[in-house]
Amino acid sequence: MALEVSHVVGGYSQIPVLKDISFDVKDGELVGLIGLNGAGKSTTINHVIGLLTPHKGTITLNGVTIDQDSQAYKQQISYIPETPVLYQELTLREHLEVTMMAYDLDHDQAWATAHELLKTFRLDNKLDWFPANFSKGMKQKVMIVCAFLTQAKLFIIDEPFLGLDPLAVNDLLNLIEDRKKKGASILMSTHVLDTAQRYCDRFVLLHDGQVKTEGTLSELQAALPEAGESLNDIYLSMTKVDRA
Amino acid sequence: MTGLFKTRLQRHLREMAKYLRLVFNDFFVFALLFLLGGLGYGYSNMLKTLKTGYWWAPVVALLVLVIVAQIGRFATLIEDADRVFLLPKERAMHAYLVVARRYSQGLAQATQVIAVFLLAPFMSVTMAWPVLSLVELGLAQIILKDALLRLDLASAYQVTGQTRMNRWEFKWLLSIIVLAAGLWTLPLVAVGLALILDIAVAVWFAQHWQKQQIRWREQIKIEDNRMLGIYRFFNMFTEVPMLSGTIKRRRYLDGLFKLIKPRHDKFYLYLYSRGMVRGSEFSGLVVRLTVIGMLLLYFVRGEWLPVILAALFIYLIGFQLLPFFQQYDDVVFTHVYPILPAQRLKSFVTLITLILSVAALLLWLVVVVANPHLMTAGVTLLVEVVEVWYLARIYTPQRLARSIENRA
Repeated sequence: MALEVSHVVGGYSQIPVLKDISFDVKDGELVGLIGLNGAGKSTTINHVIGLLTPHKGTITLNGVTIDQDSQAYKQQISYIPETPVLYQELTLREHLEVTMMAYDLDHDQAWATAHELLKTFRLDNKLDWFPANFSKGMKQKVMIVCAFLTQAKLFIIDEPFLGLDPLAVNDLLNLIEDRKKKGASILMSTHVLDTAQRYCDRFVLLHDGQVKTEGTLSELQAALPEAGESLNDIYLSMTKVDRA
Repeated sequence: MTGLFKTRLQRHLREMAKYLRLVFNDFFVFALLFLLGGLGYGYSNMLKTLKTGYWWAPVVALLVLVIVAQIGRFATLIEDADRVFLLPKERAMHAYLVVARRYSQGLAQATQVIAVFLLAPFMSVTMAWPVLSLVELGLAQIILKDALLRLDLASAYQVTGQTRMNRWEFKWLLSIIVLAAGLWTLPLVAVGLALILDIAVAVWFAQHWQKQQIRWREQIKIEDNRMLGIYRFFNMFTEVPMLSGTIKRRRYLDGLFKLIKPRHDKFYLYLYSRGMVRGSEFSGLVVRLTVIGMLLLYFVRGEWLPVILAALFIYLIGFQLLPFFQQYDDVVFTHVYPILPAQRLKSFVTLITLILSVAALLLWLVVVVANPHLMTAGVTLLVEVVEVWYLARIYTPQRLARSIENRA
């Protein structure tokens, strides 16, 4: 059991956005976090990466909580935000170096990985560029390269598919697949449901700060037999229930 | 439309007043008084050594007056959105621009008067001009500036097709002709020439502007640049939010960064040092304050004054650098990366120590050069060492530890 979110109540202020959320991500598993805008996906992610502290409940990562040992906890996490954030004064090369320093990676080995990743995402000739010169998609690729440079146990990826070209989406999915095989867990939030349906092992459907349903596609289909076959149909029916 | 300008002017003046209050704080007024006193003293001393009849005296006067005539820009307070929202009102904009020019006169003409006033003693000593002639020259200067601002106004329209009437070469040429005529013949000639120029531009412009379009893009750009200049000035003393600063590679300093080993505990030193050097916001502040301090210390004499001034400038630099600690707070990785906050603080302290030491060294060198007393130089060095140590090693960690706690 890599990540275990248990009975978390939390949010940005005293008013809780998340109302008693529990789910887990197992080793080598890709879990999709699905929900409407404002359902609480980003809030959940912010709690997991430690930006927010839960009002109640615990988040455990391979047996450690952030309060017990923030270093050991953070060391296991690699995060790709929805909107790329970069250090404006650092070049691409320096971003990679800074990441290696932060995670205390072996210099030569990490650079070998880095060059491979850079080539995959066609950034290998832009090592001396500043973020200001990158397009949005390129910045996102920089985020991906930095994240997959690490040997993190848990990758947290917030809406990765928007803004990436189809080739990059495919490369990212391959990377995820590769890391899964090596035992890493991935928690990914997305709106691109047909891609999620094809690649995620399990789904957590968030609605209004609560976990509406959870499970593999077949489990979801069994739980909502009227809803339809695809994840898209299940997702839509879930929102309809609320509107009626 | 004049109402629109007045509303904008009020807002603009309120903003300027806010910044001016910050600029003219007690310390700066103190420093300024010293600087002005020193310069005034030097000027009066210099006058005593001069005699009448140098060939170069009118040349110096011409140079000063021509340069001063270019000071004081046409402030339109035009905003970017205007080219969309005020486009249908283009004809009515004329009234707006006329009021804007009238407002621009204020500061510009005050500058002219002060400049002529300051130049007057020099001219009366070296050129033996009577007071009346100096007054006439002042009048010529004012009319000339009026004409130059009228050219700026005319250039807001496409009156001369693609070529603009307020090109700097053109303005310099006109100023030189008018003022040289006054300096080498009679000042009244300059008054006459300036008047002819002013009236000619006015008449010609009055006949032409109705048929022309406003150069929106260019006017917006000019106004933006003008405001940028003002903000840059204020940025020397205080933080201006409109000025995020630019980033420069400064490759020639890469060698400096090589000294920082890419190790886990050096993460923030790596980041902060590059951010400091390549971003202009804080490095500019350090450089400007150090240069101002060095200039001031060069002119100041005395046993204790240099010590106090050096200490004050180091304090000022150190204090202004503290917000740099939070520079990367909005980058999520600052919080997500597995790095202890204590390492961040340690790196920051190292950086502050380094910067303040370099600034202190430069200030001290000026004190050594400018002061004959070994005592003063010695005391300055001692005070500086203690101050840098206290500011960087004791004060900064305490102060920032509190801000970290408040955040957590």
